[in-house]
Amino acid sequence: MAKSPSFIGSLKPAGPESLTNLVIIVLALVFFGTFLFYTDIDSIIVFYLFYCFIFIIIGQGWNIVAGYTGQISLGSHAFFGIGAYTTAIIWLRDITHTWYFFDPLVMFLSGLAAAVFAVIIGIPILSRLRGDYFSFATLAAAQVFTVLVLRGGKLTEGAMGLRIPGTLFEDLGIYYWTGLLLAILATAAVFFVTRSRLGLALRAISEDEMSAASHGISVLRYKLIAFAIGAFIIGVGGNLYAYYIFSISPPAVLNLNWLFYPILVCILGGNGTIGGPVIGGFVVGAIVVFSETLIGRVHPMVSGVLIILVMKFLPTGLIGLKAKVFQRH
Amino acid sequence: MDSFQAVLIAQTIVNGILLGTMYGMAAIGLSLIFGTMRIVFIAQGSVLVFFAYLCFWLFKLAGIDPYLSIIIIIPGAMVLGAVLYYGLFKEAAALQDRISSLLIAVGLMFILENFMTVVWTPNPRSVVTSYGFASFTVLGIHLTLNRLLGLGIAILATIGVFLFLKKTVIGTAVRATSEDVEASTLMGINPNRVNAVAFAIGMALAAISGINVASTYSFDPVYGFDVAIKALFALTLGGIGTIYGALAGGIIIGLVEMLGAYFVGGGWTQAILFAFFLVALTFRPQGFFGRTGQKA
Amino acid sequence: MANPLLEVKDLDVSYGDIHVLWDVSLSVEEGTIVALVGANGAGKTTLLKTVSGLMHARKGEITLSGEPIQHLRAQEIVDRGVIHVPEGRRLFASLTVMENLRLGAYLPRTRPLFAESLERVFSLFPVLKDRKEQKAGTLSGGEQQMLAIGRAVMAHPRLVMLDEPSLGLSPILVKTIFQLISTLNEQKTTILLVEQNVNQALKIAHQAYVLKNGKIVMCGRGCDLLVNEEVCKAYIGERARKPNG
Repeated sequence: MAKSPSFIGSLKPAGPESLTNLVIIVLALVFFGTFLFYTDIDSIIVFYLFYCFIFIIIGQGWNIVAGYTGQISLGSHAFFGIGAYTTAIIWLRDITHTWYFFDPLVMFLSGLAAAVFAVIIGIPILSRLRGDYFSFATLAAAQVFTVLVLRGGKLTEGAMGLRIPGTLFEDLGIYYWTGLLLAILATAAVFFVTRSRLGLALRAISEDEMSAASHGISVLRYKLIAFAIGAFIIGVGGNLYAYYIFSISPPAVLNLNWLFYPILVCILGGNGTIGGPVIGGFVVGAIVVFSETLIGRVHPMVSGVLIILVMKFLPTGLIGLKAKVFQRH
Repeated sequence: MDSFQAVLIAQTIVNGILLGTMYGMAAIGLSLIFGTMRIVFIAQGSVLVFFAYLCFWLFKLAGIDPYLSIIIIIPGAMVLGAVLYYGLFKEAAALQDRISSLLIAVGLMFILENFMTVVWTPNPRSVVTSYGFASFTVLGIHLTLNRLLGLGIAILATIGVFLFLKKTVIGTAVRATSEDVEASTLMGINPNRVNAVAFAIGMALAAISGINVASTYSFDPVYGFDVAIKALFALTLGGIGTIYGALAGGIIIGLVEMLGAYFVGGGWTQAILFAFFLVALTFRPQGFFGRTGQKA
Repeated sequence: MANPLLEVKDLDVSYGDIHVLWDVSLSVEEGTIVALVGANGAGKTTLLKTVSGLMHARKGEITLSGEPIQHLRAQEIVDRGVIHVPEGRRLFASLTVMENLRLGAYLPRTRPLFAESLERVFSLFPVLKDRKEQKAGTLSGGEQQMLAIGRAVMAHPRLVMLDEPSLGLSPILVKTIFQLISTLNEQKTTILLVEQNVNQALKIAHQAYVLKNGKIVMCGRGCDLLVNEEVCKAYIGERARKPNG
């Protein structure tokens, strides 16, 4: 089962380490907040950072379920796809009457749609299955959703997918800012959830479900809430990505990469920590963006090799490096 | 229902069973690997396709008959299994760390899929032998020789694995380790040895399925993931930890897939399959053939 | 004097940051029964796990006939004839009685002796012979404990370490099990016995150690500790004072 989560730096009482963390956070915010003012906006770095933000968002969405409840969801690509499709459908049918990208209402609705789907599949799955069975069931549910999209007729246009008109696109700046903001919000959401009563209940459940239940914690309800929040965050990630690719189709937003990316982000960075997915997001972003530009289509092979190397030599993720370095003496 | 339709349905059922044995073989391999090491070896399908390619190239370049290539491919597969275990999964298995072992398997799958796509192109391939499509008609049901051979080999392999687990000391040790690693260590059983054996057999079964796929169906580099998921579902349906359960689970999946395609149409097959899996799992979380209270 | 069969010197063991055993030393002479008693959580099981190689010590030495074994892996220790029968028996429930016994004799060293060992097990526990082909999980509690001990006998042991063999058994079965342990010992098998059933354990033990909070606080001949009211009160707890059977 899940190892007891380590909350390096983030959940410890105030001390020198949390001060270091605060300094790091402030420096990072200042750096990313001012980055665009001294960088060429068309450079690949901005493009890279935008991808990183998406990875951080979906990583945090997965993190809240896996890292804090110990349940490995294999259905992230469905949530991501729902977010993207909701955005496209609202846009094309002009449901919210907005004519600009990044409408907060659309964003919220995209997340909400994913969360609703999570609740619908979560009630039967979470009430009856745990461990590996939970994982397989989420995968099955996501695959069912994929087929529904493929056969969705006019609503989804099947394998062709939907297209958002790209005419409003100006430059990457707005993407950068929105991505940054959402990544911060997602990270903050996970941070506050873990510090709340909900987080406490989730940790109790992941350590010992029976005992948590016997202490009056409604296991199903809390697991469901965490699952829904995770889906919401991933759905918002899908929304952001939809505005970026314009063409929303099953191969683009429902492919299995979107299942594995969030897991990779969390595990590479450090599962069950607040900072892990942030670090992981930058690393996975680098792998995806740079290996794609530099070596073209071979990149999943590179990702494969890197995953194996990290898992073999750094099973606690990159954030575990810090602990390792400090333990040396 | 007229007799023509009855024959068609019977034909579909037979095809479903034949397809299902292929999933079943892969599922038995997964079951052994999961049972001893708690590793969800999602790369099983890609390895299977890799062996299908080996079979294809041996046939195409060296003219070696696919069923004869079993003699070469199976020992190779077993060595590969042991190498994979010692090279990649030893540490994760010792820690029983499912996420990292799952990710290593994903990494392996990425590497294999892309290697095959880049080197051998994404075009679908199949092995066409002079005799493979020789066919028989029994009670109106159409059967080809390669499918029958595939079924026969699958049955033999299953019996072989069963006897190995039941009759040999190391096979008994594999079963004991699946049940309780620590207790088996106290018997003097080296867990690494047992795990490597389980991996070797899992790969051998993947190789057998791969050869059957190559000579019966057409395949491409990404076909493996599809097989892996279905094998995983077969294993879960059958109840984790039983050989015949995994095979039966595979046959159920094969039947649902074929009958679904027949009655509802090809595009919906996957949805029907996965929905069926979900419903079955929700109502019988321990699988159809699993013992109740089995740890998973 | 010759080396004792098993000697533990200044052993320190911890689970991560939690220190479980502190400077534990004990010795087990060839052919004796040594009891290790103490309250729940005193570290008895940890000590056995460290001897059998499931855990490793931070510091200290474990020797078998003078040869250090603390760095060996579990299967190498089994190969040297130290057999650990864990708490809760840990049989392979879906395997038959016979298969469980066969795994007891898994290592090549013990295989030539298989027929002989099997005969010994069946003469000690005739009931197992009748249940040969039954799944271990279907045995009664007492039979399961017999199978667990029988499995250890199959390994042709020099030292058998029994962890709570009386756990969960009815008083009458507890008596039977302890008798069997004595019989086993009379057949020249050395035994290290961990028990919470202090009365019974001390009765059959030649030598006994009391473990409290990870430290050895007392040792002596079994019968001496048994009558030592103060020992009972201070270290062993309520149960020991009441003669229970």
